[in-house]
Amino acid sequence: MIPTGPVGVPAARTTGPAVPTLAARQAALVAALAAGAPPPPGFTPEPLAAARRALLRKRAGEVARNWPLLAAGLGPRWPEVFGRWAEGRPTAGAHRDGWDLARDLRAVGELPPLGAEELAVWQAGHRYPKPGRPPRPRRLPSWGHAGSAVAIQFAGRVRLLRPARRRP
Amino acid sequence: MTGPIGVGIGWRPEIAGFVAELPGLRFVEVIAESVPTAGPLPAGLPDLRERGVAVVPHGVRLSLGGAEPVDPARVAHLAAVAVLTDATLVSEHIAFVRAGGLEAGHLLPLPRSREAVTAVCTNVARAQAELPVPIALEPIAALFDWPDDELDEAAFLTEILDRTGAHLLLDVANVYANARNRGTDPLDLLDRLPLERVAYAHVAGGAERDGYYHDTHTDPVPRGALDLVGELCARRRPPALLLERDGNYPPAAVLRAELDTLAAVSGFPVVT
Repeated sequence: MIPTGPVGVPAARTTGPAVPTLAARQAALVAALAAGAPPPPGFTPEPLAAARRALLRKRAGEVARNWPLLAAGLGPRWPEVFGRWAEGRPTAGAHRDGWDLARDLRAVGELPPLGAEELAVWQAGHRYPKPGRPPRPRRLPSWGHAGSAVAIQFAGRVRLLRPARRRP
Repeated sequence: MTGPIGVGIGWRPEIAGFVAELPGLRFVEVIAESVPTAGPLPAGLPDLRERGVAVVPHGVRLSLGGAEPVDPARVAHLAAVAVLTDATLVSEHIAFVRAGGLEAGHLLPLPRSREAVTAVCTNVARAQAELPVPIALEPIAALFDWPDDELDEAAFLTEILDRTGAHLLLDVANVYANARNRGTDPLDLLDRLPLERVAYAHVAGGAERDGYYHDTHTDPVPRGALDLVGELCARRRPPALLLERDGNYPPAAVLRAELDTLAAVSGFPVVT
Protein backbone atom coordinates (compact mmCIF):
# COMPACT_ATOMS: atom_id res chain seq x y z
CA MET A 1 0.00 0.00 0.00
CA ILE A 2 1.25 3.48 -0.83
CA PRO A 3 1.50 5.66 2.27
CA THR A 4 -0.56 8.82 2.02
CA GLY A 5 0.10 12.21 3.54
CA PRO A 6 -2.12 15.22 4.20
CA VAL A 7 -4.30 16.25 1.26
CA GLY A 8 -2.27 17.90 -1.50
CA VAL A 9 1.07 16.96 0.01
CA PRO A 10 2.83 14.09 -1.71
CA ALA A 11 3.86 11.32 0.62
CA ALA A 12 7.55 11.13 1.40
CA ARG A 13 9.28 8.35 -0.47
CA THR A 14 9.84 5.27 1.65
CA THR A 15 13.47 4.63 2.40
CA GLY A 16 15.04 1.36 3.31
CA PRO A 17 16.47 -1.61 1.49
CA ALA A 18 13.55 -1.76 -0.97
CA VAL A 19 14.36 1.69 -2.39
CA PRO A 20 18.08 1.99 -3.14
CA THR A 21 19.59 5.42 -2.66
CA LEU A 22 20.73 7.52 -5.62
CA ALA A 23 24.32 6.78 -4.57
CA ALA A 24 23.74 3.02 -4.71
CA ARG A 25 21.95 3.26 -8.05
CA GLN A 26 24.70 5.41 -9.54
CA ALA A 27 27.30 2.91 -8.30
CA ALA A 28 25.36 0.04 -9.89
CA LEU A 29 25.20 1.91 -13.21
CA VAL A 30 28.94 2.67 -13.26
CA ALA A 31 29.69 -0.96 -12.37
CA ALA A 32 27.52 -2.11 -15.28
CA LEU A 33 29.15 0.27 -17.76
CA ALA A 34 32.75 0.03 -16.64
CA ALA A 35 33.23 -3.20 -14.68
CA GLY A 36 31.08 -5.81 -16.41
CA ALA A 37 28.32 -5.90 -13.77
CA PRO A 38 24.80 -6.79 -14.92
CA PRO A 39 22.56 -3.90 -16.06
CA PRO A 40 20.65 -2.33 -13.16
CA PRO A 41 16.91 -3.08 -13.13
CA GLY A 42 14.64 -1.01 -15.33
CA PHE A 43 17.23 0.16 -17.86
CA THR A 44 16.70 -0.65 -21.52
CA PRO A 45 19.58 -3.04 -22.35
CA GLU A 46 20.37 -1.96 -25.96
CA PRO A 47 21.28 1.71 -25.37
CA LEU A 48 23.17 0.70 -22.23
CA ALA A 49 25.19 -1.82 -24.25
CA ALA A 50 25.87 0.85 -26.90
CA ALA A 51 27.09 3.20 -24.18
CA ARG A 52 29.40 0.46 -22.83
CA ARG A 53 30.89 -0.11 -26.28
CA ALA A 54 31.34 3.65 -26.79
CA LEU A 55 33.14 3.84 -23.44
CA LEU A 56 35.53 1.05 -24.47
CA ARG A 57 36.25 2.83 -27.79
CA LYS A 58 36.95 6.08 -25.95
CA ARG A 59 39.29 4.28 -23.53
CA ALA A 60 41.08 2.56 -26.42
CA GLY A 61 41.76 5.97 -27.98
CA GLU A 62 43.02 7.45 -24.72
CA VAL A 63 45.34 4.50 -24.03
CA ALA A 64 46.62 4.62 -27.63
CA ARG A 65 47.53 8.28 -27.17
CA ASN A 66 49.54 7.34 -24.06
CA TRP A 67 51.10 4.20 -25.63
CA PRO A 68 51.36 5.08 -29.34
CA LEU A 69 53.95 2.40 -30.20
CA LEU A 70 52.05 -0.35 -28.43
CA ALA A 71 48.92 0.61 -30.38
CA ALA A 72 50.86 0.97 -33.64
CA GLY A 73 52.52 -2.42 -33.06
CA LEU A 74 49.10 -4.05 -32.89
CA GLY A 75 47.90 -2.05 -35.91
CA PRO A 76 44.32 -2.76 -36.99
CA ARG A 77 44.01 -5.34 -34.16
CA TRP A 78 44.35 -2.57 -31.52
CA PRO A 79 40.64 -1.88 -30.87
CA GLU A 80 39.85 -5.59 -30.58
CA VAL A 81 42.87 -6.49 -28.42
CA PHE A 82 42.28 -3.53 -26.13
CA GLY A 83 38.53 -4.13 -25.99
CA ARG A 84 38.96 -7.79 -25.04
CA TRP A 85 41.46 -6.85 -22.31
CA ALA A 86 39.46 -3.89 -20.95
CA GLU A 87 35.98 -5.46 -21.00
CA GLY A 88 34.85 -5.79 -17.41
CA ARG A 89 38.02 -4.16 -16.11
CA PRO A 90 37.48 -0.61 -14.80
CA THR A 91 40.02 1.99 -15.86
CA ALA A 92 42.95 2.72 -13.60
CA GLY A 93 43.92 5.72 -15.75
CA ALA A 94 44.92 5.61 -19.41
CA HIS A 95 48.63 5.37 -18.76
CA ARG A 96 48.40 2.64 -16.16
CA ASP A 97 45.91 0.73 -18.36
CA GLY A 98 48.39 0.69 -21.25
CA TRP A 99 51.21 -0.36 -18.94
CA ASP A 100 49.15 -3.25 -17.53
CA LEU A 101 48.03 -4.33 -21.00
CA ALA A 102 51.63 -4.35 -22.25
CA ARG A 103 52.73 -6.46 -19.26
CA ASP A 104 49.85 -8.89 -19.75
CA LEU A 105 50.63 -9.24 -23.47
CA ARG A 106 54.29 -9.84 -22.65
CA ALA A 107 53.29 -12.55 -20.17
CA VAL A 108 51.46 -14.48 -22.88
CA GLY A 109 54.08 -13.80 -25.56
CA GLU A 110 51.85 -11.52 -27.65
CA LEU A 111 53.59 -8.19 -27.15
CA PRO A 112 54.63 -6.83 -30.58
CA PRO A 113 58.26 -5.59 -30.93
CA LEU A 114 57.25 -1.90 -30.98
CA GLY A 115 55.24 -2.41 -27.80
CA ALA A 116 58.15 -4.29 -26.16
CA GLU A 117 60.47 -1.37 -26.89
CA GLU A 118 57.97 1.14 -25.56
CA LEU A 119 57.46 -0.92 -22.39
CA ALA A 120 61.24 -1.29 -21.86
CA VAL A 121 61.75 2.46 -22.26
CA TRP A 122 58.96 3.28 -19.81
CA GLN A 123 60.18 0.75 -17.24
CA ALA A 124 63.69 2.19 -17.43
CA GLY A 125 62.54 5.76 -17.02
CA HIS A 126 59.51 5.58 -14.75
CA ARG A 127 58.14 3.89 -11.68
CA TYR A 128 55.16 1.66 -12.26
CA PRO A 129 52.34 3.98 -11.17
CA LYS A 130 49.67 3.44 -8.56
CA PRO A 131 46.20 3.19 -10.10
CA GLY A 132 44.96 6.61 -11.14
CA ARG A 133 48.34 8.23 -10.56
CA PRO A 134 50.68 9.50 -13.27
CA PRO A 135 53.98 7.59 -13.57
CA ARG A 136 56.88 9.23 -11.68
CA PRO A 137 60.30 9.50 -13.33
CA ARG A 138 63.12 7.48 -11.79
CA ARG A 139 66.06 9.46 -10.46
CA LEU A 140 68.70 6.76 -9.88
CA PRO A 141 70.23 4.95 -12.87
CA SER A 142 67.94 2.11 -13.91
CA TRP A 143 67.11 -0.23 -16.71
CA GLY A 144 64.07 -1.93 -18.15
CA HIS A 145 63.50 -4.88 -20.43
CA ALA A 146 60.59 -6.46 -22.21
CA GLY A 147 61.27 -9.60 -24.20
CA SER A 148 64.60 -8.93 -25.92
CA ALA A 149 64.21 -5.11 -25.79
CA VAL A 150 66.47 -3.45 -23.22
CA ALA A 151 66.50 0.23 -22.24
CA ILE A 152 68.64 2.13 -19.74
CA GLN A 153 68.09 5.39 -17.92
CA PHE A 154 70.96 7.54 -16.69
CA ALA A 155 70.67 11.16 -15.45
CA GLY A 156 67.09 11.33 -16.70
CA ARG A 157 67.95 10.23 -20.25
CA VAL A 158 66.48 6.98 -21.49
CA ARG A 159 68.05 5.06 -24.39
CA LEU A 160 66.92 1.91 -26.05
CA LEU A 161 70.00 -0.32 -25.72
CA ARG A 162 68.76 -3.31 -27.68
CA PRO A 163 65.68 -3.38 -29.89
CA ALA A 164 63.12 -6.16 -29.69
CA ARG A 165 63.62 -9.08 -32.05
CA ARG A 166 61.42 -8.89 -35.15
CA ARG A 167 59.91 -12.11 -36.37
CA PRO A 168 61.44 -13.16 -39.71
CA MET B 1 27.05 38.86 -18.13
CA THR B 2 30.81 39.08 -18.12
CA GLY B 3 31.43 35.83 -19.95
CA PRO B 4 32.97 35.19 -23.37
CA ILE B 5 31.89 36.90 -26.59
CA GLY B 6 31.93 35.77 -30.22
CA VAL B 7 33.18 32.57 -31.81
CA GLY B 8 35.83 30.62 -29.94
CA ILE B 9 37.53 27.22 -30.00
CA GLY B 10 38.47 24.61 -27.43
CA TRP B 11 42.17 25.13 -26.74
CA ARG B 12 44.08 21.84 -26.81
CA PRO B 13 47.91 21.43 -26.81
CA GLU B 14 47.75 19.60 -30.17
CA ILE B 15 46.19 22.60 -31.95
CA ALA B 16 47.83 25.38 -29.86
CA GLY B 17 49.77 26.57 -32.90
CA PHE B 18 46.65 26.79 -35.04
CA VAL B 19 44.72 28.62 -32.30
CA ALA B 20 47.56 31.11 -31.81
CA GLU B 21 47.26 32.12 -35.48
CA LEU B 22 43.55 33.02 -35.40
CA PRO B 23 43.59 36.83 -35.72
CA GLY B 24 40.01 37.57 -34.67
CA LEU B 25 39.81 35.13 -31.76
CA ARG B 26 38.28 36.58 -28.58
CA PHE B 27 37.95 33.48 -26.37
CA VAL B 28 39.01 29.87 -25.82
CA GLU B 29 38.10 27.14 -23.39
CA VAL B 30 40.65 24.94 -21.59
CA ILE B 31 40.04 21.58 -19.94
CA ALA B 32 40.54 22.56 -16.31
CA GLU B 33 41.93 19.17 -15.27
CA SER B 34 44.71 19.46 -17.89
CA VAL B 35 46.05 22.74 -16.46
CA PRO B 36 48.61 22.21 -13.67
CA THR B 37 48.22 24.73 -10.88
CA ALA B 38 51.84 24.43 -9.80
CA GLY B 39 54.00 26.24 -12.31
CA PRO B 40 53.23 28.33 -15.38
CA LEU B 41 50.27 27.99 -17.73
CA PRO B 42 50.75 25.56 -20.66
CA ALA B 43 52.83 27.08 -23.47
CA GLY B 44 50.71 29.22 -25.76
CA LEU B 45 48.05 30.23 -23.24
CA PRO B 46 49.98 33.18 -21.72
CA ASP B 47 50.38 34.68 -25.22
CA LEU B 48 46.63 34.40 -25.80
CA ARG B 49 45.93 36.06 -22.44
CA GLU B 50 48.30 38.91 -23.36
CA ARG B 51 46.34 39.39 -26.59
CA GLY B 52 43.20 39.79 -24.52
CA VAL B 53 41.75 36.40 -25.49
CA ALA B 54 39.45 35.29 -22.65
CA VAL B 55 39.92 31.79 -21.20
CA VAL B 56 37.04 29.74 -19.77
CA PRO B 57 38.20 26.78 -17.61
CA HIS B 58 35.95 23.82 -18.41
CA GLY B 59 35.79 21.01 -15.86
CA VAL B 60 35.07 17.46 -16.97
CA ARG B 61 35.64 15.41 -13.82
CA LEU B 62 34.00 17.26 -10.93
CA SER B 63 31.02 14.87 -10.97
CA LEU B 64 28.59 17.58 -9.83
CA GLY B 65 25.72 15.15 -10.36
CA GLY B 66 27.17 12.51 -8.06
CA ALA B 67 25.10 11.56 -5.03
CA GLU B 68 28.32 11.85 -3.02
CA PRO B 69 29.68 15.30 -2.07
CA VAL B 70 31.86 16.87 -4.75
CA ASP B 71 35.59 16.40 -3.94
CA PRO B 72 36.87 19.66 -2.35
CA ALA B 73 40.30 19.15 -3.94
CA ARG B 74 38.74 19.07 -7.41
CA VAL B 75 36.77 22.26 -6.68
CA ALA B 76 39.95 23.89 -5.36
CA HIS B 77 41.75 22.94 -8.58
CA LEU B 78 39.02 24.46 -10.77
CA ALA B 79 39.09 27.62 -8.62
CA ALA B 80 42.89 27.83 -8.91
CA VAL B 81 42.75 27.43 -12.71
CA ALA B 82 40.16 30.23 -12.84
CA VAL B 83 42.57 32.52 -10.97
CA LEU B 84 45.57 31.45 -13.09
CA THR B 85 43.74 32.12 -16.34
CA ASP B 86 42.14 35.33 -15.08
CA ALA B 87 38.77 33.82 -15.98
CA THR B 88 35.40 35.50 -15.52
CA LEU B 89 33.46 32.23 -15.82
CA VAL B 90 34.00 28.49 -15.40
CA SER B 91 31.86 25.60 -16.61
CA GLU B 92 31.07 21.99 -15.73
CA HIS B 93 28.52 19.33 -16.63
CA ILE B 94 25.22 18.22 -15.18
CA ALA B 95 26.46 14.65 -14.95
CA PHE B 96 28.35 12.20 -12.77
CA VAL B 97 31.60 10.49 -13.69
CA ARG B 98 32.24 8.18 -10.73
CA ALA B 99 30.29 6.31 -8.07
CA GLY B 100 30.99 3.63 -5.51
CA GLY B 101 34.74 4.13 -5.94
CA LEU B 102 34.69 3.41 -9.69
CA GLU B 103 35.55 5.85 -12.48
CA ALA B 104 33.20 5.70 -15.44
CA GLY B 105 35.67 7.46 -17.72
CA HIS B 106 32.77 9.37 -19.23
CA LEU B 107 29.98 11.83 -18.40
CA LEU B 108 26.92 9.87 -17.30
CA PRO B 109 23.33 11.14 -17.16
CA LEU B 110 21.34 11.66 -13.99
CA PRO B 111 17.83 10.37 -13.51
CA ARG B 112 15.55 13.35 -14.13
CA SER B 113 14.15 13.00 -10.61
CA ARG B 114 13.65 15.48 -7.77
CA GLU B 115 16.20 13.51 -5.73
CA ALA B 116 18.80 14.02 -8.49
CA VAL B 117 17.92 17.73 -8.80
CA THR B 118 18.63 18.10 -5.09
CA ALA B 119 21.90 16.15 -5.37
CA VAL B 120 23.23 18.27 -8.23
CA CYS B 121 22.05 21.57 -6.68
CA THR B 122 23.76 20.69 -3.38
CA ASN B 123 27.03 19.96 -5.15
CA VAL B 124 26.79 23.08 -7.33
CA ALA B 125 26.25 25.15 -4.15
CA ARG B 126 29.33 23.52 -2.58
CA ALA B 127 31.36 24.42 -5.67
CA GLN B 128 29.96 27.95 -5.93
CA ALA B 129 31.02 28.61 -2.32
CA GLU B 130 34.67 28.06 -3.31
CA LEU B 131 34.77 29.38 -6.89
CA PRO B 132 35.92 32.97 -7.46
CA VAL B 133 33.68 33.38 -10.54
CA PRO B 134 30.21 32.26 -11.69
CA ILE B 135 29.70 28.76 -13.11
CA ALA B 136 27.82 27.70 -16.22
CA LEU B 137 26.27 24.20 -16.24
CA GLU B 138 26.24 22.04 -19.36
CA PRO B 139 23.59 19.38 -20.08
CA ILE B 140 25.20 16.29 -21.62
CA ALA B 141 24.52 13.94 -24.49
CA ALA B 142 23.50 10.45 -23.38
CA LEU B 143 22.57 7.27 -25.20
CA PHE B 144 20.19 6.09 -22.48
CA ASP B 145 17.68 7.39 -19.94
CA TRP B 146 17.01 6.23 -16.40
CA PRO B 147 13.82 4.23 -15.93
CA ASP B 148 12.23 6.59 -13.41
CA ASP B 149 12.32 10.10 -14.85
CA GLU B 150 9.86 12.41 -13.11
CA LEU B 151 10.68 15.53 -15.15
CA ASP B 152 11.36 16.10 -18.82
CA GLU B 153 14.69 17.58 -19.93
CA ALA B 154 13.51 21.22 -20.04
CA ALA B 155 11.85 21.09 -16.62
CA PHE B 156 14.83 19.25 -15.11
CA LEU B 157 17.37 21.77 -16.40
CA THR B 158 15.25 24.84 -15.63
CA GLU B 159 14.75 23.72 -12.05
CA ILE B 160 18.50 23.19 -11.55
CA LEU B 161 19.30 26.61 -13.05
CA ASP B 162 16.61 28.33 -10.96
CA ARG B 163 17.75 26.73 -7.73
CA THR B 164 21.50 27.28 -8.26
CA GLY B 165 21.44 30.63 -10.05
CA ALA B 166 24.03 29.15 -12.41
CA HIS B 167 24.35 30.08 -16.08
CA LEU B 168 23.59 27.62 -18.86
CA LEU B 169 26.27 26.25 -21.17
CA LEU B 170 24.07 24.95 -23.95
CA ASP B 171 25.74 22.28 -26.09
CA VAL B 172 23.87 22.41 -29.38
CA ALA B 173 25.50 19.18 -30.55
CA ASN B 174 24.25 17.45 -27.40
CA VAL B 175 20.72 18.71 -28.04
CA TYR B 176 21.03 17.45 -31.62
CA ALA B 177 22.40 14.05 -30.52
CA ASN B 178 19.80 13.50 -27.81
CA ALA B 179 16.95 14.43 -30.13
CA ARG B 180 18.25 12.11 -32.85
CA ASN B 181 18.78 9.17 -30.52
CA ARG B 182 15.50 9.54 -28.65
CA GLY B 183 13.31 10.78 -31.45
CA THR B 184 12.43 13.97 -29.55
CA ASP B 185 11.98 17.47 -30.99
CA PRO B 186 15.08 19.63 -30.44
CA LEU B 187 13.15 22.82 -31.23
CA ASP B 188 10.69 22.09 -28.43
CA LEU B 189 13.62 21.95 -26.01
CA LEU B 190 15.03 25.24 -27.33
CA ASP B 191 11.58 26.83 -26.95
CA ARG B 192 11.32 25.75 -23.33
CA LEU B 193 14.84 26.41 -22.01
CA PRO B 194 15.67 29.74 -20.30
CA LEU B 195 17.78 30.98 -23.22
CA GLU B 196 18.44 34.29 -21.45
CA ARG B 197 20.65 32.32 -19.05
CA VAL B 198 22.91 30.90 -21.77
CA ALA B 199 26.47 32.10 -21.12
CA TYR B 200 27.81 30.40 -24.25
CA ALA B 201 27.11 27.45 -26.46
CA HIS B 202 29.15 24.43 -27.55
CA VAL B 203 29.15 22.98 -31.06
CA ALA B 204 30.93 19.76 -32.00
CA GLY B 205 30.91 16.99 -34.57
CA GLY B 206 29.79 13.43 -34.19
CA ALA B 207 29.14 10.24 -36.10
CA GLU B 208 26.61 7.48 -36.49
CA ARG B 209 27.63 4.11 -35.05
CA ASP B 210 25.65 1.00 -33.99
CA GLY B 211 22.47 2.85 -34.90
CA TYR B 212 23.20 5.73 -32.52
CA TYR B 213 24.54 9.22 -33.13
CA HIS B 214 27.64 9.70 -30.96
CA ASP B 215 28.87 13.17 -29.99
CA THR B 216 32.49 12.20 -30.69
CA HIS B 217 34.18 15.62 -31.10
CA THR B 218 36.43 13.84 -33.63
CA ASP B 219 34.16 14.26 -36.68
CA PRO B 220 32.93 17.25 -38.70
CA VAL B 221 29.93 19.20 -37.37
CA PRO B 222 26.88 17.80 -39.19
CA ARG B 223 24.53 20.05 -41.12
CA GLY B 224 21.70 19.25 -38.70
CA ALA B 225 23.66 20.59 -35.73
CA LEU B 226 24.55 23.77 -37.67
CA ASP B 227 20.89 24.24 -38.55
CA LEU B 228 20.10 23.95 -34.86
CA VAL B 229 22.66 26.70 -34.12
CA GLY B 230 20.70 28.84 -36.58
CA GLU B 231 17.44 28.00 -34.81
CA LEU B 232 18.99 28.87 -31.45
CA CYS B 233 20.31 32.21 -32.74
CA ALA B 234 16.94 33.01 -34.31
CA ARG B 235 15.33 32.63 -30.88
CA ARG B 236 18.05 34.30 -28.86
CA ARG B 237 21.66 34.43 -29.95
CA PRO B 238 23.99 33.28 -27.15
CA PRO B 239 26.80 35.73 -26.27
CA ALA B 240 29.37 33.23 -27.55
CA LEU B 241 29.76 29.97 -29.47
CA LEU B 242 32.62 27.50 -29.06
CA LEU B 243 33.80 24.81 -31.46
CA GLU B 244 34.95 21.68 -29.60
CA ARG B 245 37.40 19.29 -31.22
CA ASP B 246 39.15 16.52 -29.29
CA GLY B 247 41.52 14.27 -31.17
CA ASN B 248 41.67 13.36 -34.87
CA TYR B 249 42.52 16.99 -35.64
CA PRO B 250 41.94 17.86 -39.30
CA PRO B 251 44.20 20.07 -41.44
CA ALA B 252 44.15 23.76 -40.48
CA ALA B 253 42.12 24.70 -43.57
CA VAL B 254 39.32 22.31 -42.54
CA LEU B 255 39.22 23.67 -38.98
CA ARG B 256 39.22 27.23 -40.33
CA ALA B 257 36.32 26.43 -42.63
CA GLU B 258 34.38 24.97 -39.71
CA LEU B 259 34.96 28.12 -37.61
CA ASP B 260 33.90 30.28 -40.60
CA THR B 261 30.71 28.26 -41.04
CA LEU B 262 29.93 28.73 -37.35
CA ALA B 263 30.41 32.50 -37.70
CA ALA B 264 28.23 32.56 -40.82
CA VAL B 265 25.40 30.60 -39.21
CA SER B 266 25.40 32.74 -36.04
CA GLY B 267 26.19 36.11 -37.57
CA PHE B 268 29.27 36.61 -35.38
CA PRO B 269 32.43 38.17 -36.89
CA VAL B 270 34.82 35.64 -38.46
CA VAL B 271 37.84 34.81 -36.30
CA THR B 272 40.05 33.36 -39.04
